Amino acid sequence: MAMSFPSRPIGILASTALALSLLAGCATPPPAGDAEAAAEFRQTNDPFEPANREIFEFNEKLDKLAFKPVAEAYRDYVPEYARDRVHDVIDNWRAPLRFCNDVAQGDVDRAVETFIRFTFNTGFGIGGLFDLASAGGVPNHQTDTGATFAVWGINEGPYLVLPILGPSNPRDLAGMAIDYEFDPVDFRLGQFPGYRWVSETRAALSGLDKREGAIDALNEIDRTALDLYSSIRSLYRQHREAEIHHQPSLDKLPSPGFSSAPAAGPEISQETH
Amino acid sequence: MIFRRALMLSVLAIGLVAAMPHAVRAADDLEGAKTFIGNLANRAIASMTTKGLTDSERTQNFRKLFIGSVDLPVIGKFVLGRHWRAATPEQQQEFLGLFEDMLVLTWSARFKDAADTVTFQVTDAKSDVDQGIVVESRILREKQEPVSVLWRLRANDGSFRVIDLIVEGTSMLFEYREEYASVINQNGGKVEGLLVAMRKKVAQLQQQHPAGQAN
Repeated sequence: MAMSFPSRPIGILASTALALSLLAGCATPPPAGDAEAAAEFRQTNDPFEPANREIFEFNEKLDKLAFKPVAEAYRDYVPEYARDRVHDVIDNWRAPLRFCNDVAQGDVDRAVETFIRFTFNTGFGIGGLFDLASAGGVPNHQTDTGATFAVWGINEGPYLVLPILGPSNPRDLAGMAIDYEFDPVDFRLGQFPGYRWVSETRAALSGLDKREGAIDALNEIDRTALDLYSSIRSLYRQHREAEIHHQPSLDKLPSPGFSSAPAAGPEISQETH
Repeated sequence: MIFRRALMLSVLAIGLVAAMPHAVRAADDLEGAKTFIGNLANRAIASMTTKGLTDSERTQNFRKLFIGSVDLPVIGKFVLGRHWRAATPEQQQEFLGLFEDMLVLTWSARFKDAADTVTFQVTDAKSDVDQGIVVESRILREKQEPVSVLWRLRANDGSFRVIDLIVEGTSMLFEYREEYASVINQNGGKVEGLLVAMRKKVAQLQQQHPAGQAN
């Protein structure tokens, strides 16, 4: 029942969608008559669920066999102080890319914050070993090219689980490819032959740092979830949305809309006197 | 025409006057809501860390606090969504019971883990759609960025009930709804499939915290 087609170039998305559906089969949309089921299908935004679940299972196995044990060993055998230094250095040298995206998003305040953080931490923080700027009251934030695309009004497209890389979507996948190719630090390193290992070590340590930081949260979700796949899907999409729009602001929260829900029952009706 | 305009204005004026007490009460409600959440968080942490109690007694105390502060029927119906109406009354009752166990076992452990390492701070409260209130709070952790936690409340004559917890922008209400709908879909659209999965998970969680049973 769409009234008009979106004007954005959806050709790439459409062909990706077609290719994936040919490979693995699509989720079956609900029957046409069931409006609520159809709304749920759109809300979930996961037309490739069967393929996504396959890849998710593969990622889970790989994580249990390799990534998680390595991250746990890293936590157990490397002192916290050293891990903090690794985290701060990795984060500091992501700042130039973050700065480009702050600017591309037209976010002057955050661009200034990023600039101050990077110059301060690189100088006084000895190449970023110490995040002095946070202690000094200049807060850190995360952003990337996928978020910039979102700010420019590009839709996320369908939910995708990527091999090894995990939850994503076509918009964030394109952003990730650009981040990978055009990271200013890697770009500069690329001009000095023989320093490729620095970029590679940086990427590996970044992954290790991320996985170590997520150990407790992921264990807890795994402990309590009935269906880890859909639990992660919902948490990822909601969290990404909040990150792009700079944290949960009260005005932008989705409303459960109890007042319009027929199933809500009388006990939530409001007394006016 | 002038008469009609005068009539309109007087109707508007009466409306404004009538709305005044409500506006005053709303400000009281916001303060009340902040106090409510501050107390609730501290009592939840205290219930899980009081010395001289067994784990079982602690979880029982947490459950009492939980039942008194959270609007479980409203949350349960929203989480089950369209499947609530498809379920039989017996299934609805069993669902609410299992859902209570799930939430108590999940969140008692989370409050217990949080108790030693974090500081809880209520920062703001605002009116929400549907005459609700959202209380903003922050969890401060050593050496890490603070975590934003929003509590969506339903106010009724000065008493409050929690209907959602939004951690770093992720609503637990929406997360449970999506997850439970997915479990039902995976089981051929049958609510019974969800109940089976919940029974199994509750039993698992009780093994870790033997006290998670309803009285």
